[in-house]
Amino acid sequence: MFGKLSWSAIPFDQPIPLITSIILVLVIAGTLGLVTWKRWWPYLWNEWITSVDHKKIGIMYVLLGVVMLIRGFADAIMMRTQQAVAINAPGYLEPEHYDQIFSAHGTIMIFFAAMPLVIGFMNFVTPLQLGVRDVAFPTMNLVSFWLTASGALLVNVSLFVGEFARTGWLPYPPLSETAYSPGVGVDYYLWAVQISGIGTLMTGINFVTTVLKMRCPGMSYLRMPMFCWTTLASSLIIVAVFPILTATLAMLSLDRFFGWHFFTAGAGGNPMMFMNLIWAWGHPEVYILVLPAFGIFSEVFSTFSGKPLFGYRSMVAATLFICIVSMMTWLHHFFTMGSGPAVNTAFGISTSVIAVGTGVKIYNWIFTMYGGRVRMSVPMLWSLGFIFTFVIGGMTGVLLAVPPADFLVHNSMFLVAHFHNVIVGGVVFALFAGLDYWFPKAFGFRLHEGWGKASFWFAFFGFWITFAPLYILGLEGMTRRLQHVNIAEWRPLLLISLAGVGILIVGALCQVIMLVVSIVQRDRLRDDSGDPWDGRSLEWATASPPPFFNFAILPNVEGEEAYWGIKVKAIESQRLSEEPDYRDIEMPVNSPVGFYTAVFASVTGFALIWQIWWLAGLGLAAAFAGFVVFAWRDVHEFHVPADEVAKVERARRAQREALLERIAAEESVPA
Amino acid sequence: MSDLEFDPLGTAGRLDHREDHAPGDEPVESAGHWVANANLGLGFSVILTAAAFVLASTHLIYAPAIPVALLVLAIAQMGVHLVFFLHITTGPDNTNNVLALAYGIMVVFLIVIGSIWIMSHLQANMMPMNQLMQMQP
Amino acid sequence: MTDHPLPAAVETVRRVREDPHRLGHRGHGHGPVEGAGHGMTGPARKRIIVGYGFWIFLLSDIVLFSCFFAAFAVQRGATAGGPGISQLVEMPRVGWETAALLLSSYTCGLSFAATNARNLLWTQIFLLITGLLGLVFVGLELFEFIDLASRGITPQVSGFLSAFFGLVGLHGLHVTLAGLWLLTMMAQLQVKGFRPEVVHRLICFNLFWHALDIVWIGIFTIVYLMGAVA
Repeated sequence: MFGKLSWSAIPFDQPIPLITSIILVLVIAGTLGLVTWKRWWPYLWNEWITSVDHKKIGIMYVLLGVVMLIRGFADAIMMRTQQAVAINAPGYLEPEHYDQIFSAHGTIMIFFAAMPLVIGFMNFVTPLQLGVRDVAFPTMNLVSFWLTASGALLVNVSLFVGEFARTGWLPYPPLSETAYSPGVGVDYYLWAVQISGIGTLMTGINFVTTVLKMRCPGMSYLRMPMFCWTTLASSLIIVAVFPILTATLAMLSLDRFFGWHFFTAGAGGNPMMFMNLIWAWGHPEVYILVLPAFGIFSEVFSTFSGKPLFGYRSMVAATLFICIVSMMTWLHHFFTMGSGPAVNTAFGISTSVIAVGTGVKIYNWIFTMYGGRVRMSVPMLWSLGFIFTFVIGGMTGVLLAVPPADFLVHNSMFLVAHFHNVIVGGVVFALFAGLDYWFPKAFGFRLHEGWGKASFWFAFFGFWITFAPLYILGLEGMTRRLQHVNIAEWRPLLLISLAGVGILIVGALCQVIMLVVSIVQRDRLRDDSGDPWDGRSLEWATASPPPFFNFAILPNVEGEEAYWGIKVKAIESQRLSEEPDYRDIEMPVNSPVGFYTAVFASVTGFALIWQIWWLAGLGLAAAFAGFVVFAWRDVHEFHVPADEVAKVERARRAQREALLERIAAEESVPA
Repeated sequence: MSDLEFDPLGTAGRLDHREDHAPGDEPVESAGHWVANANLGLGFSVILTAAAFVLASTHLIYAPAIPVALLVLAIAQMGVHLVFFLHITTGPDNTNNVLALAYGIMVVFLIVIGSIWIMSHLQANMMPMNQLMQMQP
Repeated sequence: MTDHPLPAAVETVRRVREDPHRLGHRGHGHGPVEGAGHGMTGPARKRIIVGYGFWIFLLSDIVLFSCFFAAFAVQRGATAGGPGISQLVEMPRVGWETAALLLSSYTCGLSFAATNARNLLWTQIFLLITGLLGLVFVGLELFEFIDLASRGITPQVSGFLSAFFGLVGLHGLHVTLAGLWLLTMMAQLQVKGFRPEVVHRLICFNLFWHALDIVWIGIFTIVYLMGAVA
């Protein structure tokens, strides 16, 4: 009846997961209770859960990403603590629990923290920068989000029903085959990632189409802001490689469920094929994450230097170069697996070559600052910290790209330090920069500057104190994923690393305080102008927060840096452009289909994990029924009458006009 | 989203040379044109398919060349399908579609050729799996 | 920063007139841009957006197939003592399967011509024939699998057979799902007529069906015909 599910799946005998899950359940129940008590359900349902507004979906993605980032960070704290205390000692985590923690840490950080955050920014920013009202497929966008959320839910359910994978964040066979991992851990991984992967693929399709087919008039390719280019490149990679992930995990599922032999050791199975395929997805994946991060930095450097981005065209070329070459380097993740010199050399070279594209970008950012009026606001601090951190991470990467060197340090803490160096220094720093940069656009008030700066400095030094020792440990021969070590000389470095984590915790706390303080002081931090940073791209042309239709009239772009051109014209002529004829606007209607998808995806996923076949069948039938009902809907759009558009837009124009007058007054005072 | 509403230049939505076509879509032609098109596609496909089956089941050509000949025929037939059934052309309005197709083909080749190359190297360099497993304690 | 009355705007006005270092900013900087898809005309029409989005989906679906093709190529010889590819192929059956799918592609193309002429009856007739031919294909494939299983040839036997059944089965699954979609589509067309969104979906269905035929070309060539001559 319930497949493999029974009461023994609940970890009554393991205090750490049990207590964590009880606390989690209480927190969730408390939140739901509060929402019910305050009667927030209609608001939540109408304004968020069913909303197809790309801005709200983006904010929900970021929220999901932040929550999962905290969850992954908690895993990281446990791992570093364990390694610091388990020197010639068992530590406080049993091996099989420790294995689950490092697997969950990697899975959560990549799939459910970094990806939602990156996609969240793509969602919020790209249509605004392109000067349009929504993405190409708004309802599909909502479904994508809810699929990702379902995956995240399944990973977290594994905490208190059953177990999670003990195979690392990529379940290498033959370890992940039923012979060696008979439990449901790997199945939790497979279905959680599979479901969220489908959501990501849909996002990729959506954004390729959005950027290529949905731009405001005059927004030619070479007038698009850099972030849009990186969104395009990242989405192109998603479209190309996420099917590989789907296929590979499907093959592993067939092995595990039905005893096929794609990757088994024996009977003609080929475990190496899994490494080959999974990294054909896995290496491009890091560029899916880091390219939008590069886009965020490009916007920040240009805005806070008060200059156009240096070498815009070379930046576009470098982005597309990385997009293509990222798919030709995957073998460097398994140099040591036994390929001949020809293969290893070819992939070593392609790996080194991809650094050229990144190098072009680094120089462009530095030259963007050169000669500019650089403002050291919080986003700029993150960006500068990024350049320093990422260059060092990139250089250790070039070391690892040399096969003989890789043979020495592969699978060591050196590797761990390297990829945290580029992912934290590249992606996470970008996300914090982007959070600070676009927060006023999303909510209409800035984040508190002082706490933001404090958070940056703690995070920056905390990061380096945590990970610099790991480089040394790796060179000294410490391999990754060790539950305990028996070399006492490593104790000081492991303790320093633990201290770094402590500093990182302070940094994270500063972020939380920054949010709270900013919300409390929101009136003082209010941004009336819609353009708090003196921005250059179209998202700053509209109000903060933008009306749900983004632009009353789609902007007509006449050059690069669309909004900068409008701004210059307005200030020089000391008036806004002519008031246009307002027309009715059609916007897509909200839809419960996303939430419906989440429910059946979670149920089906859970049923497949525990092999409750009737429930899985029911879920799939429900999916088809939902598909038919959704396809039958008659109302796709609703009209926003011209009067309402005019009312909203005139309020914005009044603000801008007031601003212009104040500028004129300021200018007329002789210096 | 209806997009004709906010078009200051009055050009959006008008099907002219400046606008892209969707793949598989060619609304300007009459039905007869598409029937003729499908007939042509079917004719070419039948010829190519028949040729492939004949080659594979007879000894008309030099045996080691058969796989190459089959591949050539398959690629030709895929081209026929793309042109006559999916209506992919080389016109400027199809640039985006063709670019996307080229990108997809590149990815497919990277995966298939790359996998074959890498795995054949591994095969050649590593001892067979059953011996490897015997080395495990 | 917040204490300053006019921070950003004043900065702006002091800098707009000079704005130095516009290095590398030529070409697209000024004046209108001509040419397809270059952004001259604003957002594309829904019909084009839907078609293009589906095109991108198709490409990703082809990548999915390419992984199974790669697995098949790599594990072609991994028979683990079980039967090899040449023992699996039955030319007449593959011929019939190919004929059914090829003809269905043709009728699908005809249904599209009927759609363009807004002829409901002929659109439905050709869609129905397409679906029936698809059913014939799936039926033949099912018989093939049952036949193989009765000879003890199942995916559990060897890595090669896993790859074979994986690739061919994935295609069969696609055709089955496409058939389900086709039925839904026909019902919708009957109830709603040629509304724009229905026509968009018909275009997408056409693309999908033809793409599955293209994948089948790859399968009958690489798996079956090359297997027969191996």
